[in-house]
Amino acid sequence: MKKPLALTIVSTIAIVALILLALSLNKNKAEQKAMNAVAINSVANIKEFESRSAEWGKYYPRQYNSYMQTKKSDKIDDLLKKDPALVIMWAGYGFAKDYNAPRGHHYILEDNINTLRTGGPTDDKTGPMPTPCWTCKSPDVPRYMNENSELDYFTGKWARLGNEISNPIGCADCHNNETMELTLTRPYLIRAMDNEGSLPFADATHQDKRSLVCAQCHSEYYFKKTDWTDKSGNKKIANVVTFPWDNGFTVEDMEKYYDDINFTDWTHKISKAPMLKAQHPGYEIYITGAHGLNNVACADCHMPYVREGGVKYSSHNVGSPLDNMGNACMTCHRGTEQELRDTVARKLERKTELNSTATDVIGKAHLEAGKAWELGATKDEMQGILQDIRHAQWRWDYSIASHGSFFHAPEETLRILGSAINKGQEARLKIRIILAKYNAADYVAPDFSTKEKAQKIMGLPYQKLVDEKMHFQNNLRKEWIEKQKQKGLYDPKAWEGMEFKASYSE
Amino acid sequence: METDNIMKYIAIGSVIIVVGLFTYVVNAANMVSYLSEDPKVCINCHVMTSHYATWQHSSHRESATCVECHLPQDSFSNKMIAKSMDGAKDFMAMTFGTYDNSIRITDSMAKRIQANCISCHHELVSQMVENTKSYQKNGDGSQVDRNCWDCHRKTPHGSTRSLSATPNNIGVKEKL
Repeated sequence: MKKPLALTIVSTIAIVALILLALSLNKNKAEQKAMNAVAINSVANIKEFESRSAEWGKYYPRQYNSYMQTKKSDKIDDLLKKDPALVIMWAGYGFAKDYNAPRGHHYILEDNINTLRTGGPTDDKTGPMPTPCWTCKSPDVPRYMNENSELDYFTGKWARLGNEISNPIGCADCHNNETMELTLTRPYLIRAMDNEGSLPFADATHQDKRSLVCAQCHSEYYFKKTDWTDKSGNKKIANVVTFPWDNGFTVEDMEKYYDDINFTDWTHKISKAPMLKAQHPGYEIYITGAHGLNNVACADCHMPYVREGGVKYSSHNVGSPLDNMGNACMTCHRGTEQELRDTVARKLERKTELNSTATDVIGKAHLEAGKAWELGATKDEMQGILQDIRHAQWRWDYSIASHGSFFHAPEETLRILGSAINKGQEARLKIRIILAKYNAADYVAPDFSTKEKAQKIMGLPYQKLVDEKMHFQNNLRKEWIEKQKQKGLYDPKAWEGMEFKASYSE
Repeated sequence: METDNIMKYIAIGSVIIVVGLFTYVVNAANMVSYLSEDPKVCINCHVMTSHYATWQHSSHRESATCVECHLPQDSFSNKMIAKSMDGAKDFMAMTFGTYDNSIRITDSMAKRIQANCISCHHELVSQMVENTKSYQKNGDGSQVDRNCWDCHRKTPHGSTRSLSATPNNIGVKEKL
């Protein structure tokens, strides 16, 4: 009577549990099978220099989807607001107009077009910037270089190529279209490596290339004026992207390179110093740090392997490894995630401390030098001071322009910041003597604690720049998009859902 | 009574169903394989393939299998108790997917492995163990407390152990 009932109840419970277990097992097995079947449609048929990444994505959906995840890094972080000394330090140069922290690669072209630095051209001959500003932003660049010539690409104003540059950084920048091998599409990097000599490009291994494809853009450069004659016999001047690596990779080597050729990026508006701008020497600083010296490639941390079932592929969601520590760090490092995070935070604190000192010192140096000129100082008196300011700011910029340098090579970054502060203070000491000579020994530089105050000091017509930019957005840019669509360059997937965000949009 | 008979049949029927389902699950989950000590059994779970692959490429390949380090070797009952506890824990982790990308051993497992290191390498390290006892006390990070792999870090699972970053890893199970 009771025994069969009890037995049935117990059995029923066991049956339910076993069925659930069986379902779970089968689900896992089915997942494994699906993943191992590796759904690549067919042999990829991608045309050479195909600049629309969605075409590549048809054959490599996992990499493409992860690449599209860079959409998520969409915050505008106005660095001029964060440290208004930057406005003073870049007075007379584009960066004083607008400078934001970089967003995800998805926004690379959008931000290049939106930034006040590229201005508001009204046709293909106007605007403040030359064509090479597009160089690191689009796979249309190697496409255009191939269709025309490298020198042709580097000639003219930025606005001239607005019709041709349609797609943000994508597959064609780093991959061969037939074999998917890593390849360099920017010839100036190959030339720079061969000039520097320690790793001629022909000797680069696959692991080296996992860093070199990034070094195509994440390196210090300048535009070298090059005379050339086109097919019709017209003499032209090209601004060729060149890496100043001939003397070596260190900040001092590059300083000497620029000093030897008397190269100046711009003359400072307030202090009249012959200034250099350092652009993100990510690769050069990185190779001096612990990870670089141990042959860890950029991709090992920033594009770590991820696993979906039984398939392993490189995540193309290029961003901070701190957002994916499990795959990026814990594959090699023992200890806990939190320990590593704390270590990184301490490194950042140290850099922030020295960085704020440096910008304060150098900003003041500029303003004090400006005052000295005002009081009638002579060129001879100011010569040495201006060189010190040039060197101080070059070093400061070099150490922090690559935003990850505090982590890639912490000692080198802090060393360079230290030398920048030293040079800045030396300049200020010398200026103080001049000021005393002209009876202004107790001069105090004006307050530049907010972006508005700083831009006022340098006389920046901010609203005018914004108006010009908005006029450009509503007119010439729209014409560009139309022409790109006609040429078959436009990829709607790259622009879907793009919200307009800039430091001047509300 | 009639219902008694029906109940009896239902009871017997349900037991048969349980036995049937149980056999099916035993088959689907390769349960019988877990009675053996073959390392290939450990890679029934794909998450372990990187540990298998790194062991296969290490100095311990010919000398120690998985259970020889990871299960107590001092007595049969200790081994069986440890095996059952581990099995239950792994079963829960697998079925409910609660494990992480980078798997770390627990403190109790670390004690077991340390004991096994010493037991195999006894001649080499016994003097070392005796000497440290003369100069240092247990507790709070003294050398007596250190595990062998705090220095011998790559033994035997290498320095890169995640499922997606370890070389020679994908397809290990399929190839065997």
